[in-house]
Amino acid sequence: MSNITFRLAWRNLWRRKRRTWLTVGAMVFSNIILVFLISMQLGMYAMMIENTLRAQTGHLQVQAPGYKDDLKMRQVVPDVIDLAAKLRSEIGSDEIAARASAFALVSSEERSYGLQISGVEPEFETRVSSLPGLVTEGRFLEDAMAEEIVIGSVLARNLRTGLGDELTIIGSGRDGSFAAAVVTVVGVFESGMPDMDRGFAEVPLGFFQDTFYMEGAGHSVVVMAPTLIQVGALGGRVESLLPAGEGLVVHNWDVLLPGLKQAIQADFVSAWFMYGILIILVAFSVLNTQLMSVLERTKEFGITMSLGVTPGRLGRLVLLESGLMGSLGLLLGIVFGGALVAWLGHTGFTYPGLEEMAGQFNLPGRIYPQFSAIGLLMGPMIVLLASVTASIYPAVRLHWLEPVAAMRAAE
Amino acid sequence: MNQFKMILRLAWRNLWRNHRRTLIMIAAIVIGAWSMIFMTALMRGMVDDMVADGISVLPGHVQIHHPDYRDDPTIANVIAPPSGELLEALGGAEVVAWATRVRVPAVISSERDTRGVTLVGIEPLRERDISFVAGDVVEGEFLTSPDDRGLVIGRKLVEKLETGLGKRVVVMSQDQENEIADRGFRIVGIFESKLAQYEEGFVFAGETVVQKLLGVGDQISEVAILGSDYRNVETLFRSIEAAAGDGVETLPWNEIDSYLGSMLAVMDGFVIVFIVVVFLALSFGLVNTLVMAVFERVREIGLMLALGMTPRSILGQIVTESVLLLIIGLVIGNVAAIATIEPLKDGIDVSIVGEGMEMMGASSVLYPALYLKDIVMANLIVIILGFFASLSPAWRASKYDPIRAITKV
Amino acid sequence: MKSVTCKQLCKTYHQGEVEVIGLDHVDLEINEGGFVCLSAPSGGGKTTLLNAIGGLDTPDSGKIWLAGERIDTLGKGELANMRLHRIGFVFQAYNLIPVLTARENIEFVMEVQGVPADEREKRSTAILREVGLEGLGDRRPAQMSGGQQQRVAVARAIVSKPALVLADEPTANLDSHTAEQLMELFVELNEHHGTTFVIATHDQRVMRYAKRVIHMLDGKVVDDERRDVA
Repeated sequence: MSNITFRLAWRNLWRRKRRTWLTVGAMVFSNIILVFLISMQLGMYAMMIENTLRAQTGHLQVQAPGYKDDLKMRQVVPDVIDLAAKLRSEIGSDEIAARASAFALVSSEERSYGLQISGVEPEFETRVSSLPGLVTEGRFLEDAMAEEIVIGSVLARNLRTGLGDELTIIGSGRDGSFAAAVVTVVGVFESGMPDMDRGFAEVPLGFFQDTFYMEGAGHSVVVMAPTLIQVGALGGRVESLLPAGEGLVVHNWDVLLPGLKQAIQADFVSAWFMYGILIILVAFSVLNTQLMSVLERTKEFGITMSLGVTPGRLGRLVLLESGLMGSLGLLLGIVFGGALVAWLGHTGFTYPGLEEMAGQFNLPGRIYPQFSAIGLLMGPMIVLLASVTASIYPAVRLHWLEPVAAMRAAE
Repeated sequence: MNQFKMILRLAWRNLWRNHRRTLIMIAAIVIGAWSMIFMTALMRGMVDDMVADGISVLPGHVQIHHPDYRDDPTIANVIAPPSGELLEALGGAEVVAWATRVRVPAVISSERDTRGVTLVGIEPLRERDISFVAGDVVEGEFLTSPDDRGLVIGRKLVEKLETGLGKRVVVMSQDQENEIADRGFRIVGIFESKLAQYEEGFVFAGETVVQKLLGVGDQISEVAILGSDYRNVETLFRSIEAAAGDGVETLPWNEIDSYLGSMLAVMDGFVIVFIVVVFLALSFGLVNTLVMAVFERVREIGLMLALGMTPRSILGQIVTESVLLLIIGLVIGNVAAIATIEPLKDGIDVSIVGEGMEMMGASSVLYPALYLKDIVMANLIVIILGFFASLSPAWRASKYDPIRAITKV
Repeated sequence: MKSVTCKQLCKTYHQGEVEVIGLDHVDLEINEGGFVCLSAPSGGGKTTLLNAIGGLDTPDSGKIWLAGERIDTLGKGELANMRLHRIGFVFQAYNLIPVLTARENIEFVMEVQGVPADEREKRSTAILREVGLEGLGDRRPAQMSGGQQQRVAVARAIVSKPALVLADEPTANLDSHTAEQLMELFVELNEHHGTTFVIATHDQRVMRYAKRVIHMLDGKVVDDERRDVA
């Protein structure tokens, strides 16, 4: 757009300073809220995903088909330790580990609880899971064959047991036969996630296989990608490396934990309902301002048209004016919103009741919004777009303007 | 009074001098008001549903436990069944229903698989009035008495265990001597729940049968008490707590399930924040409209002042114009909101994100809940804040110097 | 070659419920290089005729040619394009864009025409000098007198050397001295560039300069007087 038209548009904005500032103010207000909330959501989602995946499923899992829904002992990945080793060497990543899992009754001297026991590779589990790092008492598992167990802190309390105590495990093996073993508690972890702390325990995979008659098999190979974005590509690579003929499948985290992704989606959609309302209200503000501004300038537009300027060109001038207002709103919104996000990214954000709610989604009680280009730009860009769109009507109206009648209009 | 009538008439006519601008502003207010009420109804509906489900499935409005039970929910922490003063209190007018339960962790095995569950021994007739199981049995029958030797389990658990109605399963738990106690049960009923977690995690048996299995005599894990309104459990809680005495722990539901409790509290705050935010977004346009209206009429206002109209009536006129605008927008917005919510009363299917809703503790059908309280609050906030927002342009208009205003081109 | 040809132009307006006759079967031919005044009392039809010739208003019936090209059948866009390149308009009220400076007002039209920036600059400087506004190019309309503003409007109309200039009461708000200066500017353009002028006026100061005066009354041409310039 050329120089004079640009200047014309800019100066037109300031013919009614207060009106323009009020309109820009509406944009800035909405933009700050959008920047803040979207950055907050992105921060929350990233944490929800990362915390949950690190603690539970990992980014990808190789499983027998149907296992994720049924969790049956017999839906196994054969030679799971070898497969994990092969994937590690082929992909060149240490963040791959084999697991097996079973329901069992775990008893101390005084108490018994039914819970899920995982068999893990001590050496590699530390690379794929946050759990080993959450051991607050004792240590994590070390030897693949040792008769040892690591349990959640609430479970330890409920079982009235502690480091060095023996627990009895009773369950059924892969073939449905009776399986039992005695293990020593070597570590207690505290994840902050009630379900995990109350009902989860890990034993070495080799020992697990012996106890539950797994014959070298396991239930999954857990794979972590360097970042969430790379999960898809890595999944394809893992798939190509699977042994043929065994019908194993690769599941992404969103398939393994559909609730997580859907909770995010549900939250996202409901949040966008509110954003949509804000954006529409800003659009109405712009529509009103620009319509008034066009009506005020009827005479001026009449003259300009008599000079041979087409209505289309004047329409573009109106759109440019809205675009300029929108850009101003965008700029100020990003500056103020960004400052707010940066500050809260530093101090964290909380409100009464958040902590109780956050626990449900594996979140801490203090949320740190994510300072990112997308969080800063997404909302304000849409507001800008909506502003320009809203002024299409006043711009198009110019096509019905008759220069002679327009010039007769009162100033 | 006469003057007020004149101001009203002037304000009304002035509103329609620039009908386009007025209509756009009304449209914005309508959308704002609609969204306030609609969104509030949806959120209220979701939380109500979550809480109602949560309460019906587990706690009841008030519960009595052994003081250590919540920390260590085993058969070791049992209490005597209600008697004396407590029994009297349970017969009180505020109690809609109550029941005792024995609730312990257990392991259930079919021929094919083994799962960890919570075994709940119930008094079937009392439980019918409190929890969900009775109404939700889709196959077979509900238990008939505390001595009933059958087992009622969830549909999902049936699938996982690859068992079925009439088949036998073994339930293992721990008795009071810390010995493994197990017993075979025949599945007599299968239930479905809106929350998969309950369908998978809970099995129900006769209370006496469970007591016998675990060797606890007539002792129980909890007393669950239902009042008439979960939002107001304070009185019920106080009277039960007093009657139950010191040896046991009496708690209202919102302390037992802090997630649900805080959800309800947070939602109350959020509704107000949402309404205020929408109003603020709206207020820029409102003030703008008034500023423009005043600006266009500078000469006219000068003339009125010169003719002897008081600055106060000028102020009144502009504010009246603004309030009229708000009232029209609010009326249409309210009607629109009610009109959109009414057909959705039967529920909005959000099963596409069903498992996500479940993670939040909500079901996959949303029932909007329209409360008079919320409607009144939204309208009041808009009118009151709108009134204050319009004071500034109105104030400026009333401060014009008549001579300068008239001569202004 | 004829600059303007009109055949049987008719135009009726509605003002409320009253029908007002603007043009009543007007026939007119104006030669290239003409300097014509349309003289009529208020409501006589001169502005209507001017607007019709300029393509701002379409007649109810009749035909109009500009430089041999039929224009009453053209669409809005084509008319705009024609005005932009071939006609200059000067109005009674100076009709400048208030937020642009004198120079920018002049350059705005050239910009729309697609004239490059350096050329615009050169031409606007030259035209400002020509209309006697040297050094005032950076003033906005509100900072100039009526005469100065009208000269900017003239400069804007003639800067791209249109073949035809249509002026509607150009001197109505000017004092005699300024009016005379303006007319001399018109005459000079008429003589040196061959620009055709059609000026609607009832100002005797203007008619003195005319080579031909067409008198109108109630939308009809009542007298066509050719004269030598005084």
